[in-house]
Amino acid sequence: MFKRNRFFVLLSVIMILSVLLAGCGSKETAKEVKYPEKPINVLQGFKPGGGSDTLAQLTQPYLEKILGQTFVNQYMPGATGAIAWTELCKKSKNDGYTLSITNTPMLMTNYIMNDEITYSIDELDPIANVVTDPGVIVVGKDSKYETVQDFLDDVKANPGQITVGNSGVGGDDFFTTLMVERETGLKFKMVPFDGDGPSWQAAAGNKIDVSFNNLGITYPQIEAGNLRILAIFSEERNDMVPDTPTFKELGYNVVAGSSRGYSAPKGIPDEIKEILCQAFEEMAENPDFVKAANDRALPVDIKVGDEYAKYLKEQEEAFTEIWNEVKDQYKN
Amino acid sequence: MILENILIGLNNAVSLASLIAIVIGTSLGLFVGAMPGLSATMAIALLLPITFGMDPATGISMLASLYMGAMYGGSIAAILIKTPGTPAAAATVMDGYPLNEQGKAGKAFGISLFASLIGGVLSSIALMTIAPLLGNLALQFGPVELFAVAVLGITIIGSLSQGSTLLGLLSGAIGLLLALVGMDPITGTPRFTFGSIYLFSGIPYTVALIGLFSIPQAIRLIERDEKVKKAINSFTDKMLPTLDELKLIIPNTIRSSIIGIVTGIIPGTGGDTACWFAYNEAKRFSKNKDKFGKGSIEGLSAAESANNAVVGGALIPTLTLGIPGSSATAIIMGGLMVHGIMPGPTLMTEHAGITYTLIWALLFSSIAMFGLGLIFTRLAINVTKISNKILAPVIIILCVIGSFAINNSIFDVYLMFAFGILGYFMNKINMPTAPMVVGMILGQMLDTSLHQSLLIGQGSWMVFIKNPISAVLLAIALISVLQSTPLFSFIKKKIKSNKKEAVN
Repeated sequence: MFKRNRFFVLLSVIMILSVLLAGCGSKETAKEVKYPEKPINVLQGFKPGGGSDTLAQLTQPYLEKILGQTFVNQYMPGATGAIAWTELCKKSKNDGYTLSITNTPMLMTNYIMNDEITYSIDELDPIANVVTDPGVIVVGKDSKYETVQDFLDDVKANPGQITVGNSGVGGDDFFTTLMVERETGLKFKMVPFDGDGPSWQAAAGNKIDVSFNNLGITYPQIEAGNLRILAIFSEERNDMVPDTPTFKELGYNVVAGSSRGYSAPKGIPDEIKEILCQAFEEMAENPDFVKAANDRALPVDIKVGDEYAKYLKEQEEAFTEIWNEVKDQYKN
Repeated sequence: MILENILIGLNNAVSLASLIAIVIGTSLGLFVGAMPGLSATMAIALLLPITFGMDPATGISMLASLYMGAMYGGSIAAILIKTPGTPAAAATVMDGYPLNEQGKAGKAFGISLFASLIGGVLSSIALMTIAPLLGNLALQFGPVELFAVAVLGITIIGSLSQGSTLLGLLSGAIGLLLALVGMDPITGTPRFTFGSIYLFSGIPYTVALIGLFSIPQAIRLIERDEKVKKAINSFTDKMLPTLDELKLIIPNTIRSSIIGIVTGIIPGTGGDTACWFAYNEAKRFSKNKDKFGKGSIEGLSAAESANNAVVGGALIPTLTLGIPGSSATAIIMGGLMVHGIMPGPTLMTEHAGITYTLIWALLFSSIAMFGLGLIFTRLAINVTKISNKILAPVIIILCVIGSFAINNSIFDVYLMFAFGILGYFMNKINMPTAPMVVGMILGQMLDTSLHQSLLIGQGSWMVFIKNPISAVLLAIALISVLQSTPLFSFIKKKIKSNKKEAVN
């Protein structure tokens, strides 16, 4: 009887040991970090249903499958995203369970343009950029401009008279317009709108001469014939509009657009950052994801980790430089 | 071709899955509409991911039904507790609550349901038949035209001022000034934000609305004698309108529905503006002007038919051009894109099956809303039986939840209380709060569109007169103002006496 008990004790000790050893083994392959073990919070700086939510709804089903955890979106709209990004940089734990959707250029222009906004990209760890929507020049279907040269010639003949719509002060189209002014030496009459929609609608209704906008947003209207596209601000021609020249082809070095990705607070553990980066890379290779993004007219542009950080830093420098040149016209 | 598509749509919409989606959508809409602070836009955005797994036509039908239901739901709280459930129900408070106070809550519900039904059905029919013709109207409204719309809207303030016109105008002017808080839309300069990033986006008018209407009401309920309340609490009246009442409200609801449809089409204006426009016009054309604000069924039906007519109206440019007519339709448009359907002219041709299913769903949801509304309000009416000591704190809790839910921001809750206290003292000096809300809704539009128009017009104010649409709208605004001056009544008298002389 006693012996039998000893046998069982021995057996159970062996079993426990083997389980522990097995556990150690698997831990080693996962670099001793188990992540994610609980749902991941995503701070959103804009209202549900907006562009940043569209990105969340697009990416999260794929990321959830890869990471095996759910995402919880927390909407904190206000101050063009600054409320959520301040929360991310100043108040969130850097344990990898709080991320935020980061949109350029507002992520940087918010604090470049306003002293009251105190966070900066140095206080976050960029994880991955997901989409970049290239900037475009569009006009209404009845516009007198047939080519981008017609438009530029008209501006040359009437400096400061030709109305150019943008999505709002501090947005990508606003900065693109300033960059074009600087490169070409021309002067436009800039008209800011409350978002990309009202800006292209004003062009379609011939309320303004041209609209500086984004490809993904205006593409359905270009297809439908309500808008015509004159030029695109990308490095190379885009497959969606193969006949449209890039602005670079005209000899002016302006490449611009708005991009959306994910970032974490500064200093999240390297292992966790690695797991997240890999998840985004894996997602980018999934043809279903690429198709879903194309269906929403969102041009996929995956940049992970340091590459994304470098991209943000370069943009920050460019925007700071431009803003310093023009801010006296805007600040009293 | 069109008829064929309409029939295909009908066939899809009467499928079991679609009908269930419509009923669920409408019920959800009634619920979120009735809760102050929970808006249709928010609910559609939250429901959107759930519809991804559904058949596109069913999913989108559910979202549209929710929108329709919420537009009516807002009136429930407006009538019962003087708290508009959605900003689009703000004008419903004006006459809906006085009816409740007179013990006619049932009647108020019946009238508002009936008016909502008419608004919903007429706007669905407009969407089905003349949408392609009306769609282009949306492109006609640029900054110059929007400025004229805002100016016309501001003339409403005058007619909302019960009692002292001076206090009403003052309240409206404060509202306009409050709308200036936040980042200047043209220069990006923060105005009156006192360094707080929470004020950068301005004061959300829904927060102000909840505070101004509901908190003073909660305090008043506590102050008021319980016995007085019990006496007016019996409601034996029939819900459905009588024949005489129908005669009074049918022309009114048709006019208001047209106002609602047009306001819906104009991008940037929605139910929150349409209800005031319709209310104002109802008063202008009414023979019983003095009844407005004291329980006029004309005022109530105008506001309610207009905000439901906005639903179909706002979908017109969304479906024909891909231009959202309101913030709620902007999200519905996002929903279409998720299903791989690019909003725009192809919706009426390539994807006509889905589009016409959606339109039929909208029509059915108006009817579902009427049926569900009859049941829901029968239950909701019991709220009037609850003791004030319980009801008042419940209202305050709803206000806190509602104002927090808008931006998930505790700052907005403090802001709501600040407006609540302001509203309480405004009531004490008989200063109406409605003009302030109208001022806040229109102020931002006025400010942005004025600045944009002047940029477009190279700094010349003539831009407003050269443009035919804005010139006409501004002329109407001018006449509206003159109508209430002694000059106008002098002319009227002159014409009358001339006529008399002619007869003699």
